[in-house]
Amino acid sequence: MSLKSKQHNLFLFPRWMNAVRPYIAVGMLLAPIYAVALIYYAFSPTTTMARYMPEQPVPYSHALHAGDLGIDCRYCHNTVEYGAAAAIPPTQVCMNCHATIRATSEKLAVVRESFESGMPIPWVRVHDLPDFVFFNHSAHVNRGVGCRSCHGRIDRMDTVYQEERLSMGWCLGCHRDPDPNIRPVASITDMTWEAPGDAARFGAKLREEKQIQPSEDCSVCHR
Amino acid sequence: MSPVSGRGGEKEYWRTLEELAKSPEYEELLRREFPEGADLPPQHFSRRRFLQLMGASVALAGFSGCRWPKEEIVPYAHRPEGAVPGASRRFATTFEMGHRSTGLLVTSYDGRPIKAEGNPAHPVSAGTTDLYAQASVLGLYDPDRSRAPYRREGNGGAIVTWERFEEEARHIVTESAANGGAGLALLTGRSSSPSLGAMKARLLRAFPQARWYEYEPISWDSRREGTRIAFGAPYEVYADYGDARVILSLDNDLFGDDPAALRNAREIMARRDPDSREMNRLYVVESVFTTTGTVADHRLALKGSDIALFAGALMARLVAHHGVRPPDGFRSPEEGVVPERFVAAVASDLAQNRGRSVITAGANQGAAVHALVCDLNEALGNVGQTVRYIADDDPDRPSHAEAIGKLAVDMRAGKVDTLVLLGTNPVYDAPARIDFVSAMKKVRRAIHLGVYRDETAHRSNWHLPCAHYLESWGDARAADGTYCTVQPLIEPLYGGRTPAELIALLLGDETRTGYEIARRTMRESLDTGIDFEKFWRRALHEGIVPGTARPFAEPAVKRSAVAEAFGRLPKASAPFEVILHADQTVYDGRFANNSWLQEIPSHMTKLTWDNAANIGVATAKKLGVATGDLVRVTHGGGEITLPVFVTPGQAAGTAAIPLGYGRTAAGHVGSGVGVNAAAIRPADLSLILAGAKMEKVRGRKKLATTQAQYLIDNIGMQGRARRTAALVREGEFEAYRRDPAGALHGSHHPPLVNLWKELSTSGHAWGMATDLGKCTGCNACLAACQAENNIPVVGPDEVARGRGMHWIRIDRYFSGDVEDPDVTNQPLTCQQCENAPCEGVCPVGATQHSEEGLNDMVYNRCIGTRYCSNNCPYKVRRFNFFNNQKDLKEIEKMVYNPEVSPRPRGVMEKCSYCVQRIQNGKIAARNEGRPLADGEITPACAQVCPTGAITFGDLTDKASRVSKKHALHRAYYLLEELNIRPRNAFLARIRNTNPALTKEKESHGDTHG
Repeated sequence: MSLKSKQHNLFLFPRWMNAVRPYIAVGMLLAPIYAVALIYYAFSPTTTMARYMPEQPVPYSHALHAGDLGIDCRYCHNTVEYGAAAAIPPTQVCMNCHATIRATSEKLAVVRESFESGMPIPWVRVHDLPDFVFFNHSAHVNRGVGCRSCHGRIDRMDTVYQEERLSMGWCLGCHRDPDPNIRPVASITDMTWEAPGDAARFGAKLREEKQIQPSEDCSVCHR
Repeated sequence: MSPVSGRGGEKEYWRTLEELAKSPEYEELLRREFPEGADLPPQHFSRRRFLQLMGASVALAGFSGCRWPKEEIVPYAHRPEGAVPGASRRFATTFEMGHRSTGLLVTSYDGRPIKAEGNPAHPVSAGTTDLYAQASVLGLYDPDRSRAPYRREGNGGAIVTWERFEEEARHIVTESAANGGAGLALLTGRSSSPSLGAMKARLLRAFPQARWYEYEPISWDSRREGTRIAFGAPYEVYADYGDARVILSLDNDLFGDDPAALRNAREIMARRDPDSREMNRLYVVESVFTTTGTVADHRLALKGSDIALFAGALMARLVAHHGVRPPDGFRSPEEGVVPERFVAAVASDLAQNRGRSVITAGANQGAAVHALVCDLNEALGNVGQTVRYIADDDPDRPSHAEAIGKLAVDMRAGKVDTLVLLGTNPVYDAPARIDFVSAMKKVRRAIHLGVYRDETAHRSNWHLPCAHYLESWGDARAADGTYCTVQPLIEPLYGGRTPAELIALLLGDETRTGYEIARRTMRESLDTGIDFEKFWRRALHEGIVPGTARPFAEPAVKRSAVAEAFGRLPKASAPFEVILHADQTVYDGRFANNSWLQEIPSHMTKLTWDNAANIGVATAKKLGVATGDLVRVTHGGGEITLPVFVTPGQAAGTAAIPLGYGRTAAGHVGSGVGVNAAAIRPADLSLILAGAKMEKVRGRKKLATTQAQYLIDNIGMQGRARRTAALVREGEFEAYRRDPAGALHGSHHPPLVNLWKELSTSGHAWGMATDLGKCTGCNACLAACQAENNIPVVGPDEVARGRGMHWIRIDRYFSGDVEDPDVTNQPLTCQQCENAPCEGVCPVGATQHSEEGLNDMVYNRCIGTRYCSNNCPYKVRRFNFFNNQKDLKEIEKMVYNPEVSPRPRGVMEKCSYCVQRIQNGKIAARNEGRPLADGEITPACAQVCPTGAITFGDLTDKASRVSKKHALHRAYYLLEELNIRPRNAFLARIRNTNPALTKEKESHGDTHG
């Protein structure tokens, strides 16, 4: 074969392509459907992990503790008002009560073990923001954004799940219009708190009073 | 003429010799849009392959990574009181390094120490630190650290347990108890630790025949010996620059090498504020261009050995013209070696400021010069005013040179049976003439305690891992004698022990832990009152024990002894000499494995990852060499071959070579970097090698220097240059004081029109002011920024390609004569322009303007087009050409600041004004329901700066310090004619020159044309 025809052949599809042609046509027809499905999936709650409810090492029920017993959120998550993290309580906090209450329960075996060995209980993270997001609990809680606004009715959850999408659009939604989610700081942990009258108008009043100006700057969360 | 001149003035600035000569290489650099190689297309990668991969990644997008990994939260089982998970806490401790000890507040996140700040209560650091303290945190997490005791037998060896060594230690205890310690020798570095001192005393009491040697490669014993000549007993010199109006430094790098560098920087620069009060005047006579030389009002480049003659000439001048009584037997040196006018001007200035001046000499200079300096300070009435003396706490200690020499002699004579090396590395850093290696062969049992298994460890029978200072209990003394505490921030990662703990083992003591030893020492050496526990806890909390500074002594100068010692100095210097000095970054080699320090450009040469012989322009011409050419340097039978670096301002007839390179067993980072100059160092540890030879040899070496990178192109068109504002502005103090308003002359440009809609801002307006008069080029800000912002290191090859990642670049501008230029340092970071050119060109909106005026960089949005960097006139954006985090070990990641995201490959980054500190500061203030106070938020660079050159704050608050600085007449903005409105103002450097000398310089300049 001459050099010229060899070069020419480079630009010809090989013969086996003829057999593949129908499949390519089908593929091209399906491509838009795939694209739509892909985008739908990317923004679906499955992807944003809403309703994510992993199994925890201890069958701890918020519905029982925070709901029925009415223990304030801050009894356990005590750093929420001054720390970035609403820290998961140390085993010590569980044992404050469970040293005497249900001290021999099978379900609490992991807790007692941790208390004795000093090794942590490996809780599974439910609300997981990307690592390039820097969320600060204290900044929100001290302005009057209640726990429920982001975490939902924890007091009704036997096993905690992610209520909201926790996507950037969702965050910005509140940063742009915080009024419906602002309440008196004294009631932040109150799961049943309802604004007297119109929530947005009530929140707006509080926002004025406390001069709350949620920022939309990138560096507020990303640094 | 305006008092502050810009480019339009008569002074021409240049950054490199190539720039001055307008060489073709320089023009090429200037023309380049990107650093070399940055604009090359990817290689070994066809267009078709690229399209295939693109297609595949789009098609498979749905299958990748939507599921996040299951993450666990592991809370404390028992949370310590006061601990807030995810929040930082600070603990006071002390970092000791050679002759200096720096008080620190170390930030710890969830038990990981990650950042050091100066302890405001510490008399030396007072809230600032040097670059070593900043980078020392990285050393803690160095994967090359020694992890276990090691026993060498014959050619092999094995890792052993501490128990195995403890067994050996019991043998040593038994042997030493039997023979009184005969044959037991210990070698330590310089340490001010009272605990180690107490352990030494205990050891020598228990084993009186044992020998204890102290040796430091960068020793200040010449000053100690100088005071011994002058006063008959050794003293420490305590200079109080707060009251000094005239300062003369004789080869002393006051802001670098000097053990009290941080205090010097603070006190001297506090009096260099041309807007508030009078300025002091700083004269520097030196051979190597030091940080002190760059800020001097007058610098005289002089050969190291001629500086003694300068001191003599100064004394002679003071005697002849200013009524100073000469010391008995003083003979003035020959005239003609040192410039008479300079001497005369300095002498008259000193004489006019009696009791208000300081003369100081550096470690390079011999004892006789230090003795003469003591006498000069006495004669000028400075003693008791600005210069004070503190009695040496161990007057009988032999000098470091004597100690290492004596030890080697003893070893060779077979007098040393057991040698214990506590944290020292003499096999590497002792002068080759001493031949420590062969001497060590005569020792039956050598035990080395070190953070690394270094050169000395490889020659020892036993190597034991030493605890890092952040893992140690202990103590130290500040330069003024104040008692400082050392407390661990973390448990020893690899079971290391401290020198004091090792001595306790060798003593067979019951009190074994550093904690117990430190407590016992404090109880024994201080009046702790009845409640020791309270005293101890308070000391730990503060980091110092106030009121424990040593008292000042008032020794009388024995003037005839000074004159006699001075008279013995050689009358003339050799035609050529080599000056060794501690490296600005790796110091004496102990930081060789610290990649942050290796990559920090040296302040004058901007050289990274290497050492070179710095020579002046004339010397280079004489030798026929250019930067990068190899030379062979010989002295006293030793020789080294290394590249030269042509450095303007290096004294003629001298070459300066930094110590601390050429390590062979430093670790993965530091081994094989540069050349070890200890090979040519004389046995007496002197740093000036008179009569050394230097000759050109074949070959060149590529040096990774950053000095010609990121050029700001405002000199491309000479016509435009006339109306552009100057990059560097300077003025004379006298003229500035008379007419400060004239300072605004620097910039001439047409009215500025904005192409875009004015950005509205609300709330704070963050801004910065950088005082060029106060920047010494000490590089502490670079190290602090690197530690705070998780900035990666990229290695010498990448640095040479212009891909260094430092967010701060200290531009060093020369002006004047190439042999004796003036230097101005200009630290440059992102200027946070209000009309930022970078923002408009980002196709994905990854760089955005915040309401507070910050130029936010959103890493997770960036796709790496680099348009922003291209459009940045300051060239302060840095691009991750590689995934610099990829190959890091887990332990290395522990140094990361969790408040800042590490950046992956293909992402642009830049200074953010430490936005994490801004956000956290704002949140803290809001949580407490109070307004932010001025100075509450400080970026890492401003916090660390020893001279306070950087001010940060809110420009909307007209009372803030930064607003006041922006309002000064000498404030100017870089490239303000572009109307980009940077938020960072530079304050023109004001020199307090002596009129008698400026006239000389002008006429000098005329002859040069």
